[in-house]
Amino acid sequence: MRIIIVGGGNVGYYLVKTLMAEKHHIMLIDNNRARCERVENAFGGSYVEVTHGDGTSANCLRDAGIYHAEAFIAVTGQDQNNLVSCQLAKDYFGVKRTIARVKNPKNIRVFEQLGVDSVISSTARIAGSIDQELDWADVNTLLAKQATHVRVREALVDPDSPYRGKQLGAIGLPKGMILVCLVRDGEAIIPDGETKLMEDDNVVILGSENDLPGVIAKIRGEAR
Amino acid sequence: MYIIIAGCGKIGANLVKKLSNEGHDVVVIDPNEESFSQLENGTNCLTVTGMSIDEDVLKSAGIEHADALCAVTSDDNVNIMTAQIAKQLYHVPHVVTRCYDPDKDEVLRQMGLCTICPTMLTVDRIGTLLEQVEE
Repeated sequence: MRIIIVGGGNVGYYLVKTLMAEKHHIMLIDNNRARCERVENAFGGSYVEVTHGDGTSANCLRDAGIYHAEAFIAVTGQDQNNLVSCQLAKDYFGVKRTIARVKNPKNIRVFEQLGVDSVISSTARIAGSIDQELDWADVNTLLAKQATHVRVREALVDPDSPYRGKQLGAIGLPKGMILVCLVRDGEAIIPDGETKLMEDDNVVILGSENDLPGVIAKIRGEAR
Repeated sequence: MYIIIAGCGKIGANLVKKLSNEGHDVVVIDPNEESFSQLENGTNCLTVTGMSIDEDVLKSAGIEHADALCAVTSDDNVNIMTAQIAKQLYHVPHVVTRCYDPDKDEVLRQMGLCTICPTMLTVDRIGTLLEQVEE
């Protein structure tokens, strides 16, 4: 599938990485040259191309080949830019499927009413999980039905864990595995690559059934 | 009329002054509280601090019973989003959007928004002035 992604920050970067592994053709657009180069250097090639420009401008989208795109994903850090990008893609260029990330969970409803097909808010999802003290068993039953190999697990970081004191970016989790959130001293933290894992952090992790046991064992300090 | 102005820059502040002098009820929104110092002393209006793309902020500015909204922040995309929330979610009867980028302005018109493009207004005006000079 040909996919346009607007926004090459952390979400965009890992989205490119994940989707290229599934052999999608990706065009990434970002208005920051350094972010463009980071993606270009890491993934540039037959599956990934990069355009430096404003993803909310019709001319830029045209140059990026939007007429050939089957899906359009806007994941910049600014809600208003994600909305305008998706609306141009859908209403002006006729892209079939548009997906936007929002920072403010209240914008989910706004975006849906203004015509964006799918709206994602990590804030809302994580806040929801924590509020309801979600039972992972139920989640896994649901995942087992809809995404056969994906599971959610929880683990406490042991003093003997090889991950303790390390930044997430330096740990090298298996491909496709995400550390969704960690609870430290009763406070939920949404981690990024620079977040360090500390002793007694309670970690919520999402990944494939096959990779999870190894990583969980390392977090618990049961394996080296 | 009950009018909401999103953005208290040069245009926003002057618009507030003009409209309140004409006897309208005016509320002005800006994320930066210091921007309100641009309002002339004694200007009769309410101020709301916050982003105009936040529904809660628009509600506290009284969008549910507004007759008109002018989106005149310095960010085209903020204006576009604010205008659409006002028009499509709250059915505000009169909505005006400022958009600097002429290409985007054209697209917005096709999408049914009422827009003002200061860039093209300036270009056209200068062109007209030069023609007059030639004559």
